[in-house]
Amino acid sequence: MLNAKSLETHSERNKMESVEQMTLPGGLTVLVQPVSGVESASFSFLLPGGSAALPDGCCGAAAVLNDWLFRGAGPYDSRRLVEELDGIGLHRQSSVSPEYLSYGGSLESENLSRALELYADILLRPRLEEDLFEPSRQLARQELEALDDDPRQKVSVCLYERFYPDPLGRPCVGKEEDLRQLTPSQTKILKERLFAWSGAVLAAAGKIDTHAFLKHIERLFGEIPPSRECPPVLRAAAGGYQHFPNPGAQVHIGFMTEVPPFDSPMYYSIMAACMVLGGGMSSRLFTEVREKRGLCYAVGTRYHSLRSCAGIAGYAGTTPDKAEETLSVILSEFRRLRNGISEDELLRAKTGLKSTLIMQNESTSARASRLAADWFYLKRIRPLEEIRQAIESLRIQSIQEFLDGPYGRKFTFVSFGPQPLQTLQKKE
Amino acid sequence: MQFQHTQLENGLTIIGEVNPTAQSAAFGFFVRTGSRDETSSVNGVSHFLEHMLFKGTEDLSSLEVNEAFDRLGAKFNAFTSEENTVYYAAVLPEYFLAAVELWCRLMRPALRIDDFDVEKKVILEEIAMYKDLPEFQVIDQARQLHFGSHPCANSVLGTEESIGNLTAEQMRDYFRRRYAPNNLVAACCGQFDFDQTCRLIERYCGSWQTMEAGRSLSYFEGTGQQCRQTKEGLNSEHICLMSPSVSMQDPRRYAASLLSLIIGDSTGSRFFWALVDPAIADTAVMQCEAMDGVGIFSSYFRCPARNRQKVLQIVQDIFRELAEKGVSEKELNAAKNKVLSAITIESERPMGRLVSLGFNWVYLKSYRSVSEDVQAVKAVTIDQINDLIREYPLHKYTQVSIGPADVL
Repeated sequence: MLNAKSLETHSERNKMESVEQMTLPGGLTVLVQPVSGVESASFSFLLPGGSAALPDGCCGAAAVLNDWLFRGAGPYDSRRLVEELDGIGLHRQSSVSPEYLSYGGSLESENLSRALELYADILLRPRLEEDLFEPSRQLARQELEALDDDPRQKVSVCLYERFYPDPLGRPCVGKEEDLRQLTPSQTKILKERLFAWSGAVLAAAGKIDTHAFLKHIERLFGEIPPSRECPPVLRAAAGGYQHFPNPGAQVHIGFMTEVPPFDSPMYYSIMAACMVLGGGMSSRLFTEVREKRGLCYAVGTRYHSLRSCAGIAGYAGTTPDKAEETLSVILSEFRRLRNGISEDELLRAKTGLKSTLIMQNESTSARASRLAADWFYLKRIRPLEEIRQAIESLRIQSIQEFLDGPYGRKFTFVSFGPQPLQTLQKKE
Repeated sequence: MQFQHTQLENGLTIIGEVNPTAQSAAFGFFVRTGSRDETSSVNGVSHFLEHMLFKGTEDLSSLEVNEAFDRLGAKFNAFTSEENTVYYAAVLPEYFLAAVELWCRLMRPALRIDDFDVEKKVILEEIAMYKDLPEFQVIDQARQLHFGSHPCANSVLGTEESIGNLTAEQMRDYFRRRYAPNNLVAACCGQFDFDQTCRLIERYCGSWQTMEAGRSLSYFEGTGQQCRQTKEGLNSEHICLMSPSVSMQDPRRYAASLLSLIIGDSTGSRFFWALVDPAIADTAVMQCEAMDGVGIFSSYFRCPARNRQKVLQIVQDIFRELAEKGVSEKELNAAKNKVLSAITIESERPMGRLVSLGFNWVYLKSYRSVSEDVQAVKAVTIDQINDLIREYPLHKYTQVSIGPADVL
């Protein structure tokens, strides 16, 4: 076996739960964390080269490929493959992000090795038969169409498209004009561009025998030829404000402001600030917009990061006559946060971050995802103790340093509703 | 895992599944009340009341409540259905008693008129939000059409009119009748001390007065009616079918749940192969919802509006074939494996376990361990599934669809 090394040792109770790492010749990094007291196992593949790696005119090819991959692989035709996956009770997930494709799932641990054999077929030997391409393309088009029926979801898609530099913000679900023209042969070629094994990671957590697992993976994925990610050339983000006419009952407002990405030393300060602003039920937005004024049912913020850029993104849904007031309260809360947060708010944010960290650890699926994400963004695994200490050492001052940066100085907005928001139109 | 339970003199039941190796603990109050227990003049009051519990007590303002939960790092919330209102929090073990204490206090809310007026606006926003979600709309309306005059037809959210007209006094009256201790179950899961928790709950809840809090239970087959609505701006057709199924009290609910996976799981099911795989619909799923004394099989489809008739035809063919030939051993095994892995994954987190634990007690007044659930799933036979198909004919469904106007 290749040199596997131990990366992480947890606190006393989890001493046995260290992370082993192995990098295969093709570049795939394997991370495995055995967890005591559980019967399940979860795994997550991240392949660098997501929707932003696609050339112009191919938006949505990754979504089509994601469906096409599961229509037969290795010795199995489409039906057999799904029967095999279902037969082991796998709860699978796959998704397209701007910078990676991810494939994974959770199941009872005794079936993990079988699941990975099937994923070796799917990812390395997909059949991609031409006559099965059309339904994959049709499904992608239908999902894109259906997005119009869900303005709340569509707000996020349109917000990212305006906020991030092109092509990072391109909709992973695709664009109608591109999906219409996509061909099977083109998509096959694009697969090579989308599957950059040299920076890929496979993370697994749960009831796993590390040694046997690594040996098995080496046998399944040991001979992949290296293939490098081609980073996209970035063009300036559109930013500003865009309104989409929509005859619904509510106005759906999305807003986003730039903050440092995941690998920034300010990461924990950002997370704390984001919680204070719009993360929980005692957050400022929830209190001012919903609890005090009854303007919205749904209002909140979240941190969204890619490798090189990130933002605090938010959403509010409200009936048209309250939209201007909602926006004005939100913007004033973004501004007021710059004056700093209180000791009590800091304490609540720290407790919230710590309990999220520990409770996520109870799910093997969340563990596998965290390992994969750490490796993808940081090229290392943050030990739990490091995260705990970083949260513990947060001070009002460190959060203020973040708030004094570009945070909240410039916004990107989108809205769906009967009328554009007057306040924003005047600014434009 | 160790199960313990006790009942206070006033009828409040406390149940707990202790797992000393868990890293967190979860707590919930399960109130046996929901929209089916409402009259039309107070429709939506159960859900509105659920919001009002977060508005505090005589000694706690709403802002203090939210801050108190966030200070415990709690993952807390509540939900209301046709027949249950559930309040819960998951916390690290060191905060467990504080979270339980907070919920005990909140279960006797102030229901202040100022808070009531502001929250009414929030509820009206929530009703407006769901109007923009056709997937929710179609299921909600199918339920109303299917249940007709049965109380399970009552909408959980209520309408703009019923919420607009609701008074704080009506809510207080509903609260007094439905939040009696004998209509509540306090459930705990994970790493916690059962005796200590019981003492705490007794201190806060022991003096609450027992009240008659019944529910009219009757079985209902469904109306079998059909309707289609059009909505401006929609792209896809959203279809919901509902047909009768077993109740929560019926031991065949495991078989019914497996049958719904065989027919309508998101992968590998009959719906999947006939509708999603050939891209006739992009979503086609079925669920079995076993309720108090009644039950439904509920299917949801989303497809291009031009495919509506085709989808319905294919679904009828699937139902006919099932009635004639039943299901196969292979299908049953795959469904069992999916359920078994779901049970395993869910039971690894105290918050995941809490809901099953609580509902088993609310409906069955009994404890079922994870391994009993596993055994019950494993024991289901092909014959049991095929008997169910005969007894609950799938083709006798109520149908609602919502889609764009300009398609036939």
